[in-house]
Amino acid sequence: MTAPDGNRLEHWASDEPFDPRVAEALTPEQERIYMASQWRMMWIRFRKHKLAVWSGTLLALVYLSILISEFIAPYNMHSRHTDQIYAPPQSVHFFHEGSFVGPFTYGFDYKLNMENLKREYTENRNQVNRLRFFCLGDSYRFWGMAEMRFHFVCPPENGTFFLLGTDRLGRDMFSRIVMGTRISLTVGLIGISISFALGMFFGGLAGYYGGWVDNLTQRTIEVIRSFPELPLWMALSAALPVTWSPILIYFGITVILGLLDWTGLARAVRSKLLAVREEDFVAAARLMGARPKRIIWRHMMPSFMSHLIASATLSIPGMILGETALSFLGLGLRPPITSWGVLLAEAQNINVVALYPWLMLPVVPVIVVILAFNFLGDGLRDAADPYK
Amino acid sequence: MKPRAAFRSVLFATALAAGLPAVAAAQTIVPIGPPSLEERVAKGELPAIAERLPLVPRRVVVDRPGMHGGTLRMVFGRSKDTRIMVVYGYARLVTYDTAFNIRPDILESVEIDRDRVFTLRLRPNHRWSDGQPFTSEDFRYWWDNIANQKMLSPLGPPQVLVVRGETARFEVIDERTVRYSWSAPNPYFLPELASATPLYIYRPAHYLKQFHAKYADPEELAEKVKDSGRRNWAALHNRQDNQYKNDNPDLPTLQPWVLQTHPPAQRFVFVRNPYFHRIDQQGRQLPYADTVSMKVAAAGVIPLKTGAGESDLQARGIAFNNYTFLKEAEKRENYKVRLWQTARGAHLALFPNLNVNDPVWRKLMNDVAFRRALSLAVDRHEINQVIYYGLALEGQNTVLPQSPLYRAEYRNAWAKFDLAQANVILDRLGLTKRDSRGVRLLPDGRPMEIIVETAGEDTEQTDVLELIHDSWLAAGIKLFTRPSQREVFRNRIFAGETLVSIWSGHENGLPNAETIPDEFAPTSQLQLQWPKWGQYYQTGGRAGTAPDDPHAEELLNLNREWVNANTREERETIWHRMLQINARQVYSIGLIAGVPQPIVVNRALRNVPDKAIFNWDPGAQFGIYMPDTFWFDDACRRRPGPVRDGKAEC
Amino acid sequence: MLKYLIHRVLVMIPTLLAISLIVFVIIQLPPGDYLTSYINELQSQGEAVDEAKIAFLREQYGLDKPWWQQYLVWVTGMVQGDFGFSFEHNRPVSEVVGDRLWLSVIVSVATILFTWIVAFPIGVYSATHQYSWGDYGLSFIGFLGLATPNFLLALVLLYLANRWFGTSIGGLMDDHFIGKPWSWGKFVSVIEHLWVPVVVIGTSGTAGMIRRLRANLLDELQRQYVVTGRAKGLPSGKLLVKYPLRMALNPFIADIGNLLPQVISGAVIVSVVLSLPTTGPMLLRALQSQDMYLAGSFLMFLSFLTVIGVFISDILLALLDPRIRLGGGTSR
Repeated sequence: MTAPDGNRLEHWASDEPFDPRVAEALTPEQERIYMASQWRMMWIRFRKHKLAVWSGTLLALVYLSILISEFIAPYNMHSRHTDQIYAPPQSVHFFHEGSFVGPFTYGFDYKLNMENLKREYTENRNQVNRLRFFCLGDSYRFWGMAEMRFHFVCPPENGTFFLLGTDRLGRDMFSRIVMGTRISLTVGLIGISISFALGMFFGGLAGYYGGWVDNLTQRTIEVIRSFPELPLWMALSAALPVTWSPILIYFGITVILGLLDWTGLARAVRSKLLAVREEDFVAAARLMGARPKRIIWRHMMPSFMSHLIASATLSIPGMILGETALSFLGLGLRPPITSWGVLLAEAQNINVVALYPWLMLPVVPVIVVILAFNFLGDGLRDAADPYK
Repeated sequence: MKPRAAFRSVLFATALAAGLPAVAAAQTIVPIGPPSLEERVAKGELPAIAERLPLVPRRVVVDRPGMHGGTLRMVFGRSKDTRIMVVYGYARLVTYDTAFNIRPDILESVEIDRDRVFTLRLRPNHRWSDGQPFTSEDFRYWWDNIANQKMLSPLGPPQVLVVRGETARFEVIDERTVRYSWSAPNPYFLPELASATPLYIYRPAHYLKQFHAKYADPEELAEKVKDSGRRNWAALHNRQDNQYKNDNPDLPTLQPWVLQTHPPAQRFVFVRNPYFHRIDQQGRQLPYADTVSMKVAAAGVIPLKTGAGESDLQARGIAFNNYTFLKEAEKRENYKVRLWQTARGAHLALFPNLNVNDPVWRKLMNDVAFRRALSLAVDRHEINQVIYYGLALEGQNTVLPQSPLYRAEYRNAWAKFDLAQANVILDRLGLTKRDSRGVRLLPDGRPMEIIVETAGEDTEQTDVLELIHDSWLAAGIKLFTRPSQREVFRNRIFAGETLVSIWSGHENGLPNAETIPDEFAPTSQLQLQWPKWGQYYQTGGRAGTAPDDPHAEELLNLNREWVNANTREERETIWHRMLQINARQVYSIGLIAGVPQPIVVNRALRNVPDKAIFNWDPGAQFGIYMPDTFWFDDACRRRPGPVRDGKAEC
Repeated sequence: MLKYLIHRVLVMIPTLLAISLIVFVIIQLPPGDYLTSYINELQSQGEAVDEAKIAFLREQYGLDKPWWQQYLVWVTGMVQGDFGFSFEHNRPVSEVVGDRLWLSVIVSVATILFTWIVAFPIGVYSATHQYSWGDYGLSFIGFLGLATPNFLLALVLLYLANRWFGTSIGGLMDDHFIGKPWSWGKFVSVIEHLWVPVVVIGTSGTAGMIRRLRANLLDELQRQYVVTGRAKGLPSGKLLVKYPLRMALNPFIADIGNLLPQVISGAVIVSVVLSLPTTGPMLLRALQSQDMYLAGSFLMFLSFLTVIGVFISDILLALLDPRIRLGGGTSR
């Protein structure tokens, strides 16, 4: 532009090199959020959901504890106490007659009521048995390898520590529940991996290729979804040869549980794929010559992986409950394998409900874990789409 | 495996003798019919009581003569258990009494000639539950048209009626007398007739003829076959003819109660048989109870229902470990729990499979020293204390102390818990090498891991095995439990794939010299310690393998000798020899016996023994105590709730 | 609409066929057949069974045909109303099953009604009073129901019902009403017995439904039209009912498809525990004894119930939501 007098107008543009960050300076706070990767944003959103965070922490702790189950349990899984059959739970006291003694349990006396053949236990306040920590107790084989005796807490030398009572063979319930965690929690994990794999495979096929592949998959999914789960599990479990070793049956059960669960996941994958298929970045990838496999895996899947994880997390409780139901019916795991389902199956009789209710306590960890998974899954689902 | 029980050739005289006072008594007693049938008699639908009873009814002497009336409620686990009413009703041609002697029941008398010829006499004017006469025609119908009819019995008459290849000779002497004869003794005949699952040699001919091709109108029969959905008339005939299964309300019967409800149902009602042949000593026609109500519930719920007072007489479905619960509930409800004795040789026993396929194991199992070591390494006392409160009897799988054949050495043979000796024996067998766990190695290097298979039906067996696991481990043997299902469990044993199994012991632990001892010899495939030898005997050599153990062969010989023995002393000697061999050879490892059976009885129900023996055969569980003689005491009738004080003893 | 209906019906048929094939294959999976069980039963009663008799029985029961032939016989029979033969009960399946199917339906329907009746007010309350104590508390109770294994809950409730209320154990009515015609007393007795299984089975479905209703209602409440309505002065209650609730009802109806299989599964195990005269206990027994036709028929029935339920829910949804019937399908 030229002014009327022919001089060049002053221009206000700076001739220094352009630095975008100066124009729009971000505060550190904003920088964190705007520049954050997808996963980081999900994490931030997830953190807001306090309940989910606690649940996640709890579950992580419980899963880690599986590694050292034998260490945590005061007794060996199979150790029996012939004199303390059906003993009620013992409470841990700290104060004895006013003075602080440290954690201890009272001893108890045993009498068999000949009238109705009931075992009666009375607390003996004179026997103060202090608990030992980081001590040597029942022996066990750590991960089936080395023989060790190191426990976190042990029963006192001359006494007993039955935090949750004993069962009909005098085995400590608390130890059995702790040991049962291993099986119960991993059944769900393996089952979910199987169903995850199946769901992604079929859902991916249907979603990406569409057409008759899609139709066929849809119909198959509908057929499978029409089955009521439990009767089908029952039928499949009845087909497992009883001569299989307990470990094989365990794996068989996880496969069965996973076989029927993948439909929900497949549906979700399919619908998300259908939605994402039209997105620009997919078109761009295709134009750049990427093969379908790469497009699906590298570009499409990550955009909804979080949803899948959330769905998977919400399916695990179903598997845990399924395992307990099957064990209860006698079609799943059986003793000597210990899982919460097996423990609950043993508690499933009138003697327990009426006379020895503490044997039903394995239901508490079941409830807690399932609730935790539910809250965690909720939180993950809320956080799954950070761009919403 | 069915036990055989006493029979005497003296029965001839006793029976006839029993007949006389009965006749005399019957003539002086005026029969009293149940009031519930009076209305029908008045209307003319039923004949009067004197015509309904046989001319010579069976007179039963009861502890407390009772009153007619009431409904007996019971709970069972399957709708198939309608057959149990035939067991409890226990109306048989001949029955066991409470001392396990055989007496005529439906029959008026039995004449026996040297155990070969049996002449059966029916009661005059004995009628079926629908009023038709019960005569020798009913026996003939069965013999000619069922047992020897190719379509209905492709394999011919039952094995019990065939002695050494010779089928019985059946004759009808007159309208109420029939005769079965053989040229060799048949000690199985009467016990089979008196069994809980009896041999039925008669049928309601007048009812079944309509389903038989020989007697029925062909068109009508074809129509019936089509309606029923069966393949042919033989299948239809078989279906309708099910006296033991007891699921056909139209089938006439001789039992005290007749099924009224058509299956399938959740609740079956049985009403009294107006023509039942027993009376009490005051002349009242039995049964006392007018109806029996049988409720079907899932097995796990039966203790609950019993504890809630929904059963008046209950034994099946409740086990010893329910005793505490039932006793606690007793205070609130209207029943009392009793403990009856069981009569099995062992409540639980381990059965090493002498016919196992694996050659290394088979050699060991057939070595008596190995079996003895296994037995010594079991701590029976601990099992008793932990699971049975110390109330059971520890020992081997043999006769119980109440049997006249009992000797303490049979029960105690190799039954003491002696780990030291067990280890010594195993060492002496050359099994000295052990692996890192301390488990001994077999001669071919495999660890001695014994898989004990159970039928998976209750946790009691798994619990016992858990206890045995620990003591066997101390002897260097690792025990694994494998719960299975009854069918698979049995099949694997029969096929020789199972190493050791756990099951109940001898069915009849209270034999006397006159009881057939075949349970103690390899005579049946169902004997889990030698299934193939047993099968060999059962099929006459067609299947299975012949015993190659000299002691087992001797047992078979002794069994044969017993059948041919003539005197009681001979029989007793043979018994003791068989028991001795079994004790020394430890063919089965008995654990505990004499576990009491809880019996729940309504407080108002009378004539139920306080203490008794509860056994399937002989005994028919409640059968020998005659539930038709149980009655409800009006003075303290069953009330829905706890009994109040101040009433007459309840 | 009609086109949509026909389309759905046509789709149902191959679905049912596929289900029947899968069911049949599954039933045949366990080794052996009913005859092996039957033989064992005979043997356990002390009867020796000969090879010839076994062959005779096998031929009589038709177990010697190849499996596909048995399948065809079964399927064609089913269409004609002949569901095969139950070996264990020794009578046609239709006779054995009897009332059980009806009672299963009754229990399932009652449970779904219970779920709706409980979930609805709680869901609405939770959505309208979000983050309040009531919201958290009720949600928690719902979750608790979801997490508890229902067989244990069933046993405990059964025992407590007997101790506290005197309800008789097991069954759906007092003994003396069985087989009698319907009366007020019988009706009351059924209700008395029905609440335990319905509560036990319903608790798990209720939690899910509450959550879904809450989520959907929350979504709706944030829409523009709600804000507009509030700005225009509509009272809260009316505002809630007039539009958002109708939209939120969609998942209720649509969820029958999800709820029904869950309810039926739950009903099976609970009725085994409580010994109810429904399909559950008989199915378990049939599976254990390999009573093929009986087990297969039960599985078919239960699947059929689910398919019908889904069908009904689709129809209802189509009636409710014009988008569906124009679009020709749902995307659950």
